[in-house]
Amino acid sequence: MKAKRRVAITGVGLVTPVGNDVETTWSALLAGNSGGAQITLFDASGFATTIAAEVKGFENRLVDDRKLLKFTNRSHRFALEAAEQALIDAGIRPTAQDGHRWGCAVGAGMMTADFADLVQTHRHAASKGEIDTDLLLTDAPANDPLVFCRGQAAEGLALLTRRHGIQGYATSVHTACASGGQAIGTGMKIIRRGYVDRVLVGGFDSMISPIGIGGFCLLSALSMDNATPELASRPFDATRNGFLLGEGAGFLVLEEWELARSRGARIYAELAGDGNSLSSYRITDSPPDGDGPIQSMRQALADAGGSIEDIDYINAHGTSTLMNDRSETAAIRAVFEGEADRIPVSSTKSSMGHLIAAAGAVEGVVCALAIARGEMPVNANLRERDIDCNLNFITGEARRGRVRMTLSNSFGFGGSNSCIVMRHPDLT
Amino acid sequence: MKVVITGTGAVCAAGAEPADILASVMSGATSIRPIELWDTASWPTHVAGEIPNFNARAMVDDRKLHKLIRRTDLVGLYAAGRAIGESGIVAHRDTLDDAARAAYSDRTGVVVGSGGGNFENQYDYFPLMTEAGGDLVAFGRELSNTVNPMWLLRTLPNNVLGHIGIKYGLKGTNACITNHSVGGLLAVIEAYCAVRDGEADRVVAVGHETPIEPQMVLYYHDVGLLASETLRPFDARRDGSQFGEGAGALMVETEGSARERGAKVLGEVLGGGYATEAHGLLAIRADGDGPERAIRHALDEAGLRPADVGMVVAHGNGTRASDSSEAAALLRVFGRDMPPVTGFKWAIGHLIAAAGIVEAVIGLSALRANVVPGIAALRDLDPECAGLAVSPSHQVPRGPVALVLCRGFAGTNAAILVRAAGGEG
Repeated sequence: MKAKRRVAITGVGLVTPVGNDVETTWSALLAGNSGGAQITLFDASGFATTIAAEVKGFENRLVDDRKLLKFTNRSHRFALEAAEQALIDAGIRPTAQDGHRWGCAVGAGMMTADFADLVQTHRHAASKGEIDTDLLLTDAPANDPLVFCRGQAAEGLALLTRRHGIQGYATSVHTACASGGQAIGTGMKIIRRGYVDRVLVGGFDSMISPIGIGGFCLLSALSMDNATPELASRPFDATRNGFLLGEGAGFLVLEEWELARSRGARIYAELAGDGNSLSSYRITDSPPDGDGPIQSMRQALADAGGSIEDIDYINAHGTSTLMNDRSETAAIRAVFEGEADRIPVSSTKSSMGHLIAAAGAVEGVVCALAIARGEMPVNANLRERDIDCNLNFITGEARRGRVRMTLSNSFGFGGSNSCIVMRHPDLT
Repeated sequence: MKVVITGTGAVCAAGAEPADILASVMSGATSIRPIELWDTASWPTHVAGEIPNFNARAMVDDRKLHKLIRRTDLVGLYAAGRAIGESGIVAHRDTLDDAARAAYSDRTGVVVGSGGGNFENQYDYFPLMTEAGGDLVAFGRELSNTVNPMWLLRTLPNNVLGHIGIKYGLKGTNACITNHSVGGLLAVIEAYCAVRDGEADRVVAVGHETPIEPQMVLYYHDVGLLASETLRPFDARRDGSQFGEGAGALMVETEGSARERGAKVLGEVLGGGYATEAHGLLAIRADGDGPERAIRHALDEAGLRPADVGMVVAHGNGTRASDSSEAAALLRVFGRDMPPVTGFKWAIGHLIAAAGIVEAVIGLSALRANVVPGIAALRDLDPECAGLAVSPSHQVPRGPVALVLCRGFAGTNAAILVRAAGGEG
């Protein structure tokens, strides 16, 4: 078998509930600041959960193509901004000559029409509660091609490939909360296969709407600590009671290693390994013994040619739900055995909340930064130890030190588990 | 590394078995009929390839599951079940000891191309919106009394992936691709690569979609993608596409995995290719750049020359721009040495995320029967497509390899090459 083509991470971009760029977000994650607050995007006061981690004061600073922005929903605007940051950071972008050697892989959210459009359609064509298909014929949103485009699962991909002239392998993936991790893994694989040389990968989502919050409320998945939003997301804490819904986007520029080196690119980390498994247990839960995530972590380590002794930081999926955090702890214990006592672990969802389809991509950026800067964000809000969650969590202050390799977990509704392993560039 | 096909499944308006669908297409009759899902009397579009007498229980027997999934998931699970069943992998796994059984499950993957979100599902919120009368506080308060608690789970684009895993105990590598029309065919490419590159020993690839919903039909009509009467691929008078619905599935695996249980090999995936045109969601280039690069990439990966291709299953969706640019791509790749070309959308409609994989399943069946089904809806070949070897009559493949093409929104183009297993007719 041919030696694997190596993959370098040379650019990163973030739009998160704790910052609209990489530096602001990173400072907040190191300090353990929370993005949680009362929902301002709509009047949520009647909902069981009234809090979320919204992106604050956002505007597209780097992307001012009005024509393009007309076709966007909120999550697409996050994506365009974070992708632009990543490309600027990498100092390279597709050209007319090499656009066909660039790929794009994104984790895209599951929402279609915006709530405002749904309200309009309801008023016009479903005022009695049931759709009248004849009235739909004269409904404004149902005849607005912009609403159609914004609601397509591939629209985020279309916007990114069009703006940047990406003409190689370009794909949208969706495995719920594992989407972002899966997108990063896909980007790595298409470089290894030789399909493309460079890939823009990432994830974007925004579900903080009456429909999105409503959907999660119906499943009783969200924390209802409405009086203390900044403490609501407390992964691995004994008193955790559900996740805090976040929104945003994370993007990375991946390059074939030698190409990155030969142009003198600054390399954050090597994207070294990817693992994917299905828990095949329940749609919303992982099994208590960690079966499923155990396999994805082992695959990713093996794929990276690394061992449990090499990992210096784990960015946990850590949603702050009762079942996830227990199952993930069991899985990490099973894979890392005694090494688990040594390895610092944090869930940055403690600060940012859960970014759903964007989560894995944002957390991929976190790992790249941890390696490049020798800093590991805190697991905020962890005050009361849970005997079922006995890992070496980073509490109080961020850790500093050499990070040789990182491991990042993302597990989705539906049972998909994604694991991404990165390596310090000096060790490649 | 050979990647063999050991199971297929498909369901669409023309049938619920690959052989039945092929027979229906070969008969020259279209399965595109008046829409029954809602009253279209005053609508500009009246026909689509609906699955007739749709029976949810016949698709998925487990009635408890019906509350958790949608129509699109039912057809996806059905097709996947057929491919898995035909392959015999589950029966074989059950003969193994505990440790070997667990390892077998861990080495069996699932890749699904799914349509992603639809519009109709959000209508479940309409009764609540009426009750709340525009008051969001009341909306929030009454939410759990009015809306199905499982609403979000029913909405997940990756339901087929998760439920195949649970039903058959498959736990290996997996993905759900929400890439509009190329999703299903891209699932085959990803499954092929996963097996070839050693990520799994066997993978079931699935594509499913049921896009025939009012708001979707209206949008496609408004942006000019739907035919006024008939879908006529590559025809001079073609004026658009028509929707179909359904799902397709292929079980692909290493030769060793198939041999281990003495599985019947139906064919082989030889390679895949993929390219994007980068002109936005709906635009496509007139020169066929995307499909041409996808085809050349697939040929490269398979180590084949154009002359090795025995037949082409074209995307042929019946729109002006897609068919002429697809023909341009085929003419540039094959020149005068053009293999027989066919397509199936005229008979079953455009199944969006399921289109490419269902057409790959029908194409493989046709190849094994040594026939290139005619495009019965074709009357006068568009002069712009002159040189394309399409015909209303059946043709004969010039070899055992088929090229299957698929194109989707966002300027995406996928191509795969499959070989029919020899000597089995």
